[in-house]
Amino acid sequence: MSLPYAYARTEADDTVDVTMTVNGSEVTLSLPARITLSDALRDHLGLTGTHVGCEHGICGMCTILVDGQASRACLLFAVQLEGAEITTVEGLGRQDDLHPLQESFSKHHALQCGFCTPGFLMSSYDLLTHEPDVATEDLPEELSGVLCRCTGYRNIIDAVDEVAHAHRDGLPGPGNCAQRTLVGRTPSGAGPAAAAEVATAAVPGHHPDEIALPTGEPTITVDVTSQLESAPTEVAQVFGDIRLLARCLPGAELTDELGDDWYRGRARIALGPVRLSFDGMAQVLEQRDDRLVLRAQGKDTGGGSAQAEIVMSATPAGTGVSLHAEARVFLTGRVASFGRSLAGDVSRRMFEDFARGMDRAAAGAEPDVGAKPPGAVAILVGALSDRARARLRSLRQRSRDRTTRRDRRRTPSRDER
Amino acid sequence: MNQPWKPAPFAYVRPGTTEDALTELARDGAKVLAGGQSLVPVLAMRLGRPSMLVDINAVPELRQISRSNGHLGVGATVRQRQVQYDDAAAAVPLLRLALPWVGHREIRSRGTVCGSIAHADPSAELPAVASCLDATMVVAGAEGVREIPAAEFFTGAMSTVILPEELLTEVRFPVAEEGDGFGFGEIARRHGDFALAGAAVRVRTTSAGSRARISCFGISDHPVTRDVTEQLRSALDATGTDPDESDLRRALADHADGIADDVVDTGGDAHASAAYRRQLIAGLVSRQVARAYLKSLRPHREGKP
Ligand SMILES: Cc1cc2nc3c(=O)[nH]c(=O)nc-3n(C[C@H](O)[C@H](O)[C@H](O)COP(=O)(O)OP(=O)(O)OC[C@H]3O[C@@H](n4cnc5c(N)ncnc54)[C@H](O)[C@@H]3O)c2cc1C
Ligand code: FES
Ligand code: FES
Repeated sequence: MSLPYAYARTEADDTVDVTMTVNGSEVTLSLPARITLSDALRDHLGLTGTHVGCEHGICGMCTILVDGQASRACLLFAVQLEGAEITTVEGLGRQDDLHPLQESFSKHHALQCGFCTPGFLMSSYDLLTHEPDVATEDLPEELSGVLCRCTGYRNIIDAVDEVAHAHRDGLPGPGNCAQRTLVGRTPSGAGPAAAAEVATAAVPGHHPDEIALPTGEPTITVDVTSQLESAPTEVAQVFGDIRLLARCLPGAELTDELGDDWYRGRARIALGPVRLSFDGMAQVLEQRDDRLVLRAQGKDTGGGSAQAEIVMSATPAGTGVSLHAEARVFLTGRVASFGRSLAGDVSRRMFEDFARGMDRAAAGAEPDVGAKPPGAVAILVGALSDRARARLRSLRQRSRDRTTRRDRRRTPSRDER
Repeated sequence: MNQPWKPAPFAYVRPGTTEDALTELARDGAKVLAGGQSLVPVLAMRLGRPSMLVDINAVPELRQISRSNGHLGVGATVRQRQVQYDDAAAAVPLLRLALPWVGHREIRSRGTVCGSIAHADPSAELPAVASCLDATMVVAGAEGVREIPAAEFFTGAMSTVILPEELLTEVRFPVAEEGDGFGFGEIARRHGDFALAGAAVRVRTTSAGSRARISCFGISDHPVTRDVTEQLRSALDATGTDPDESDLRRALADHADGIADDVVDTGGDAHASAAYRRQLIAGLVSRQVARAYLKSLRPHREGKP
């Protein structure tokens, strides 16, 4: 573990900045020294896959990898991990592309309540990467650092054994570790000193250099086409006004313009008992009369995160416009466990609502979208439509100018950051 | 603040040199943080509330495993897991026999050899290894460095001669020689748990005969070391000098009860009575002395305990 050198000092009531790499993403947290890594991961980064049981090293629920070796997250203070590389169960595999260990646990029914599963996955990952030849009869002892309250040991051992046999020449690495911007959050009920913030992302008026999407298959892909009655020129006006555009989406709200085509906002989604509220940022990558490309990332207060790239294009069709939207959405945490098809349906329905809102906005009316989620939109509906239209015209001119300086944004290399 | 944190507040400092670490330790209420595998549970349960933790993990010189003058030096932040697989550390076979018994892989990833010895849990394996081999503890303080033999180091349950303002910088284990054989065994309620009773054994066989030394743990408030050369010799008188392992074990068993009575001085606890611990020690000692003796007859190969 690479640690920085003398003298890091934190007084008992202070917070200290710690920068570590979590599942491939660098993150800086500002924490009191007595916050354990397990609490930092769960409460400050929303990575609740790392479970907490005994909190003194016995049960193994909180097992994660530190620089490739399984360790107890509850027996480390986050401040100790400056420069360290952490892998949690979220980094092991993606929902649509599970790690062989996850596949095997599922196949062998090696999870009952699932509370111990992250610990067993990370512990067995460490075992099989360091001792690929481990014998079946040694597995009970080698895996004894994690306890299963459901006592599903036999199936757990079968699951690990099968993977061991299938990968004697090397276990595939964690499949969900990629550069992306992690947005820290403040645990509910915490006082100001407990707030953990990602250095750049959470300071008002600041935005990260980029929104990097994970590699690989997205959790959800959306590909919808809607027919709009509005004329292409009218649609172009909406494409030119991000504020107005945001209002076409039910539950969305722009809270801040950060400059450089960066926006801060909120989106609320209500589905039966499920209430999600994403806080996040969007960056407009391309803004033309008939095409709009943007990336967004958000954190749900309950501990999920979403990243998306959305491409919208408008093609003249008859007197109206055919609006095509494509989105690649990457979900982690609570929202991901929704089930892909449900999440996909929700996204599609939202796009259809969005298209309807666009049609109204393009026609100069308030984008009075159906299925209004609580709160967010209502605040904005009061805005004067005259003023909106006047702004629209001036913004549109700006957006034309802007189209000439596209495609300059490329992913900066790690060194540049 | 309504936070779920467990430890009481503490200041945290991460010095980059041993000297700076000692300056910090001179402050009232300061405590060394090495692997944290014993200290953090103590903090989490608020059994301890040090006002400052001195994290020694950024001091480069404490991270070394070195070999000189027939000794293996293990620095204060060298992880147990590293020693388990390190080629140089193979020169001390007893460490390799004992380490798999220390907690689990996840604990050994962070836990240090020196931390375990400094912590001096009566049921811990590594203090017994240090005692059996008569390792040297190198302790640095404001006044300079002291070298303390194991026999003088452990003073009681979780107590050693290290002063609060001192740092155990290194433990020096003698490397194995031709004619050395080792044995290690323990009984715990489950793997990775602290031992109810355990024994570390060294037998050295030369042309002059065999010498045997045991260090038992889990049976007193500190490791108890005895010379059992006489008992081994009389067992060998009964079996001949090239015995079968089970024959030798049986012959040693005739002496094992006496050894157990001598070393076990615990009154017993909720997990095991003193009488049960004596039985465990008798069995462990006869088995491990027999093994160590047979290994001491084999040509010496480094790294093959
Ligand atoms: C679930 C679990 C099971 C375990 N099972 C076992 C077991 O079976 N056998 C066993 O032996 N241990 C066991 N342990 C303890 C583990 O082995 C610890 O690694 C070890 O006892 C302490 O080493 P550490 O480096 O973690 O020290 P720390 O926890 O950092 O420190 C322990 C104490 O020693 C002091 N200290 C540490 N290093 C120094 C130094 N260089 N100089 C001066 N003082 C120092 C600290 O101030 C503290 O008081 C277990 C731990 C857990 C959590
Ligand atoms: S919560 Fe960390 S080991 Fe139990
Ligand atoms: S599956 Fe329930 S604790 Fe293991």
